[in-house]
Amino acid sequence: MTLVSAAPYLALLGEEDTSLKAYALTSLNDVVDQLWAEIANSITDLEELFEDSSFEKRSLAALVISKVYYNLGDFEASVRYSLYAGDEFNIEEQSQYIETIVSQCINLYNSSSQKKFLDSSVSIDPRLTAIFEKMLEKCIKANELRLALGISLESYRLDIVEAILGQQIKENEENALALINYVLICSNTVISNTQFRTKVLNTLIKLLLSLKSQDFFTIVKIIVQLNDASLATELFKELVTKKEALIAYQASFDLVNTAPQQLLDTVIDDLTELSKSSSNLDGVNGTTHTSNDAPSTIIKKILLILSGIPSSDLDSTFLYTNNNTDISILNRTKNLLEGRSSIFHSAVTFANAFMHAGTTDDSFFRKNLEWLGRATNWSKFSATAALGVIHKGNLSQGRNILKPYLPGSSGAPHTKGGSLFALGLIYAGHGREIVDYLKSYIDEHGNSAGSNDTDVMLHGAALGAGVAGMASRSESLYESLKVVLYSDSAVSGQAAGLAMGLVMLGSGNEQAVNDMLTYAQETQHENIIRGLAIGIALLNYGREGKADAVIDKLMEQESSILRYGGTFTISLAYAGTGNNGAIKKLLHYAVSDPSDDVRRAAVMGLGFLLIRDYTAAPQIVELLSQSHNPHVRYGTALALGISCAGRAYSPAIEVLEPLTKDPVDFVRQGALMASAMILIQQNEFAYPKVKDFTKQYADTVKNKHEDALAKFGATLAQGIIDAGGRNVTIHLENAQTNTLNIKAIVGLTVFAQSWYWFPLAHFLSLSFAPTSIIGVRGDLKAPKFELNCHAKPELFQYPPKVEETKEKQPDKIATAVLSTTARAKTRAKKKLSKKSEGESASKVKDEDKIEVDEEPEKALEKASDKSEKETPAEKDESKETKEQKSNEPAPIRYSKTPFKINNLSRVLPIQSNYVSFIKEDERFVPVRKFRGASGVIVLEDTKPDEEAEIIKTVRQLNTTEAPIPEAFTLSEEDLKELEDD
Amino acid sequence: MSEKQDVLMKDAEDVSSHNDSVDAIVKEIEASFVLLSKAASSFDNRYVSKVFRDLGPLRRKLVTNKSVLPLVINRLYPSAHGNKLYLLKALDATETDERMDVDEKEEAVASANASTPEVELYLHLLVQVSLLDQNELEKVNALNDNIIQLMKLYNRRSLDFIQAKIWFFISRTKELLNDLLSIRSELLSSLRTATLRHDTETTASIITLLLRNYLLSHDISQASNLVEKTDFPENAGNALVARYYYYLARINAIQLDYSSAHECVIAAIRKAPQTHLANGFIQSATKLSIIIELLMGDIPELKVFKKQSGSFEAYFNVTKAVKLGDLNLFGEVLNKYEDLFKKDDNFTLVSRLRQNVIKTGIRIISLSYSKISLKDICIKLHLDSEESTEYIVSKAIRDGVIEASINHQKGYMQSKELLDVYSTKLPQNEFDQRIKFCLSLHNDSVKSMRYPSDNDNKDDASKDDSKEDEIDLLKAIEEGDLDDFMD
Repeated sequence: MTLVSAAPYLALLGEEDTSLKAYALTSLNDVVDQLWAEIANSITDLEELFEDSSFEKRSLAALVISKVYYNLGDFEASVRYSLYAGDEFNIEEQSQYIETIVSQCINLYNSSSQKKFLDSSVSIDPRLTAIFEKMLEKCIKANELRLALGISLESYRLDIVEAILGQQIKENEENALALINYVLICSNTVISNTQFRTKVLNTLIKLLLSLKSQDFFTIVKIIVQLNDASLATELFKELVTKKEALIAYQASFDLVNTAPQQLLDTVIDDLTELSKSSSNLDGVNGTTHTSNDAPSTIIKKILLILSGIPSSDLDSTFLYTNNNTDISILNRTKNLLEGRSSIFHSAVTFANAFMHAGTTDDSFFRKNLEWLGRATNWSKFSATAALGVIHKGNLSQGRNILKPYLPGSSGAPHTKGGSLFALGLIYAGHGREIVDYLKSYIDEHGNSAGSNDTDVMLHGAALGAGVAGMASRSESLYESLKVVLYSDSAVSGQAAGLAMGLVMLGSGNEQAVNDMLTYAQETQHENIIRGLAIGIALLNYGREGKADAVIDKLMEQESSILRYGGTFTISLAYAGTGNNGAIKKLLHYAVSDPSDDVRRAAVMGLGFLLIRDYTAAPQIVELLSQSHNPHVRYGTALALGISCAGRAYSPAIEVLEPLTKDPVDFVRQGALMASAMILIQQNEFAYPKVKDFTKQYADTVKNKHEDALAKFGATLAQGIIDAGGRNVTIHLENAQTNTLNIKAIVGLTVFAQSWYWFPLAHFLSLSFAPTSIIGVRGDLKAPKFELNCHAKPELFQYPPKVEETKEKQPDKIATAVLSTTARAKTRAKKKLSKKSEGESASKVKDEDKIEVDEEPEKALEKASDKSEKETPAEKDESKETKEQKSNEPAPIRYSKTPFKINNLSRVLPIQSNYVSFIKEDERFVPVRKFRGASGVIVLEDTKPDEEAEIIKTVRQLNTTEAPIPEAFTLSEEDLKELEDD
Repeated sequence: MSEKQDVLMKDAEDVSSHNDSVDAIVKEIEASFVLLSKAASSFDNRYVSKVFRDLGPLRRKLVTNKSVLPLVINRLYPSAHGNKLYLLKALDATETDERMDVDEKEEAVASANASTPEVELYLHLLVQVSLLDQNELEKVNALNDNIIQLMKLYNRRSLDFIQAKIWFFISRTKELLNDLLSIRSELLSSLRTATLRHDTETTASIITLLLRNYLLSHDISQASNLVEKTDFPENAGNALVARYYYYLARINAIQLDYSSAHECVIAAIRKAPQTHLANGFIQSATKLSIIIELLMGDIPELKVFKKQSGSFEAYFNVTKAVKLGDLNLFGEVLNKYEDLFKKDDNFTLVSRLRQNVIKTGIRIISLSYSKISLKDICIKLHLDSEESTEYIVSKAIRDGVIEASINHQKGYMQSKELLDVYSTKLPQNEFDQRIKFCLSLHNDSVKSMRYPSDNDNKDDASKDDSKEDEIDLLKAIEEGDLDDFMD
């Protein structure tokens, strides 16, 4: 300790005698932490010693060198020499040096291992691997399995992950399952390399299948993420052979809900073949077809569910029965904006469409035929298309409803075009039945694009086909659309470009990208270029790194519209990943691109990237929201609206609030719409600020001096915040499978294009997802039963209806005044009766008496009622003022006394955690362990013999329709029931 | 250097009034506890610097009111706490409970504070400082071991400033005990810890402490090794930077690298806080700078001696001797002030000036005579022989002290015509250097500016609060980190 200088030892290093050198080294090793600065001067001597292969204590020399480098702060060199030190380097030692070096080793190993994954020529020092594995072993021994899994995932060591999980499966299956889920979450959030992610997922599937008690739902999750149809078919086959019918149904419901159309199509095709062969099998075995457990019936039911009909049916039943639209809001807005210009007409149309989305309630149109008649040209198109939004998911009737407007009828071309679009919207994502019809229309008229009328209709047909055939990757449909595109008409070409992207959604089809990009560079029409640009963006949805080439190509284009498409490509390719590189790129374009459009799109794109880490969004865009450029401000508003949609996240609202008072009209528009997207479905108990916002929407509409664009935004906001009869929200992430809701994201992307083309606003309806809890039995019928909800009911109530008007109050007061006059009258009458006392008068007198008796009482009652009503109202107000002070969203607390909700009722996303099945009433038990899920839940009926009250679905109510055959081959019971009807 | 500053501090102490009651001091200390907790919770180390701004005056008060610290300790810790016991023992106080019953509420608040390591360490610092002021070196030394153990327990960035300070006093104690070696390994290991944790304040502090330690024990080569092998953190406090430069100048001067030593010492003087608190430091830095300048062959300006307070008599005389090039006078001065130079640790450097005296003599001669025989030079400068004169002159020519040539055959020195400086690139370089300095100064000040964040505009009430805080903090920064210089 008291040694002042290392010079004597250093001098010894120069000696000939190796034992002296060894002694010097040992001594140096002891004092190196104090005298490293001095030893560092002769580091070359030490290195020479180490290089001298005849020297015995080479490793000790390496250790001393490593320590010197460590003290010098050169960790890389220190790690290198510590590896050479071999056994002298003692991992078990508790010192800062060892700790630091080991953590450096692991970092180094991680980075080089990641490199190795990409390029197998990279070689890793085996000693580094040894240290890494030693540390992992330590981890595993200490039972820090999650830590070990995380580290091995980070270093792309799938073999270790597999080994750990395999070991766990042998020891403790339940624990293993938890760990598998952990790895699943990690692979989604941490691993940025898609290739490796796929590998991990495939491994997980293998492991899951090896489990004794198989967790099919986790498998479904992975299948959706892998987008692998063959795996899905495998799974169903397995389930069918195991006769796990209910699990299979639940799995197929999950799949319908989350998987893209193409996956479903493939699975359906595969299973249809299987069902053919299996029905043969059934025949051979001699089992009856009617038996519920027969593989063929199970497969048929699976096929039925996969077709999307039952879930759409259940959803629309839910929306229809629970419709709670406040029509007075819409009426008032309509009256205030009436007839001014087509922009307001469109605004009201959209608001109506959103408010009634999926509810099949088109009464507003029917009641306001005169107003509807004022629509001209494209507002007529929008109005007709609105029918599609309203009837969205009404697969059974859709076509019939639109029949009067479809081509072939005597309507105007805009009506026909709108109806074609509407048709697509109804069948959005489940378009098997309708795509052919739309395609045939396109094929017929594709070449005659250019004439005004067919152009409009083709526009509608292309959009409709795009929406209906979304992600079907149908080549033939793509080719038909290409024909329309190549006729080079601005109106139909734009829609065709967009539709091509929708059909090929997420495919990354290189040929298609090339076609579209080349044509975009050739054509003169800006509309077509824009359509194609967005189409390319859609094509690259979720492609992450694979889309980089396309992105670079687009971003270096001279045409600002193509760069605009490029920013959207970045946002869609990396949607929900929060990828830092992509965020950097977008921020760069957001501040440096010369075109306002590109900047706006770039900021908006941040919203898409941050869908999963929505809490980071307000921070990131906050500075941009103070930009001098209104387009950037508009972009921030929508970015927040997109990333925080349906989350009622208050920091986002705080950033938006100043924007709603922005001096520029379209910024206000964006802020109003975004706030509605964030606050959708909230009531003032849960989130007090909602009241201010709804009031602001109404005021903006009412204000005479407000700009048209802001009014447009406010009207749309009214529609969005009360969307779908208040039973839908914007769900960008599927809670069940941790995957992104592609439909919703596409909906928002195209909705953002309504900046250029109003009718595209209808696309927002794709983002709406019903917030329901729907329990379904094995026979796909929804029985009536109740669930518990452990929280205060008012937190999840519908917002109160707006009071009609205040003019009615004076009337009531007038009745109160009338009572005195009534008395005067009766007095007069009494006098009269006394005077006249005729026979005929006796009857009158009786009646009068009754009146006399009743009227004052009534008046009194009314008065007291009023005072009673007023006082609570006042109290409420005082409460509200208190609440407004805090203005924080009310925290939800678990309450022990639950309130009951029925099957098929509204359950808000935040509410779902507090919902539980009633334990005492055990008739209906969910197949999957219930963890606050929403959506369709398959139930096991424990008392199948008992009669259960069934909720009739919309489809069953409309039995006059010619149904799709499969729906009625469920079972004989079904058929009987239908016959009875 | 430090002894003088101690004297100075004691002067200041007399000025500070004694009428501060015990209660007021206790309150002051507890107010600083609140600030420290705030610093910990808001991760804003400016609150800590605010506390340290008041540390100087507090120290003086603590010396006169010895009953304060035991009181605070009793209130802060729950009874029979391990730390409490040894702290009280160090202060020669016993555990008392009297205050605790008086106001339980306050006690509760206080004990809540005790849980934060910031407060705990600060209290240790106070005890340490007050013991040091009372010259209870052995006790401090014993306490220091406890403190070092305590510091190792924590890894929090909010402690950086306090730790840096504590290390300073630990090292100071050892220095006063004249036990320089034992602390080195502790310092080195905590230097490593601090660098690994990116704890710039402690890193900077410990580097300067180590340098001081090495210099005091005259381990110049170790010191220079350390300087070479470590990176002094860029954003360390000004006071520490100034100190670092001072030590750097000393090392460089001793290692004969005068020009970089000069740069360093100038930087040290510039970086040092320009208040009376730093007088001692500036004095010793100035003394060093005078000698370095002389060693470089320049003569410091007269105002250097007059500007500062303090005694520069010895240095003035040395300068006079060098300027006159009078070896006799130089010898006299050296004899007369030997003790003083040794005390200032400058004696070695001053002894080296002998050569310079000769050189200046030669220069004066070369300026006055265009041609002079070596013999005359020998006589004028009282040199030993004509031969050695020839050597010295030729060395001077080679070093660029004079522009001349020697005629060896005839034994005379021929001066060259003086060059016009403005015809060379010299002024341009000088100008360039100054512009660079100004620009970097500007950039540094822009970087160190702070802007209030716009996020606070929602809650006006808290905004006012934070504004006041902000102003206070700005003041603290302005007067900044001065108390470092008071030891």
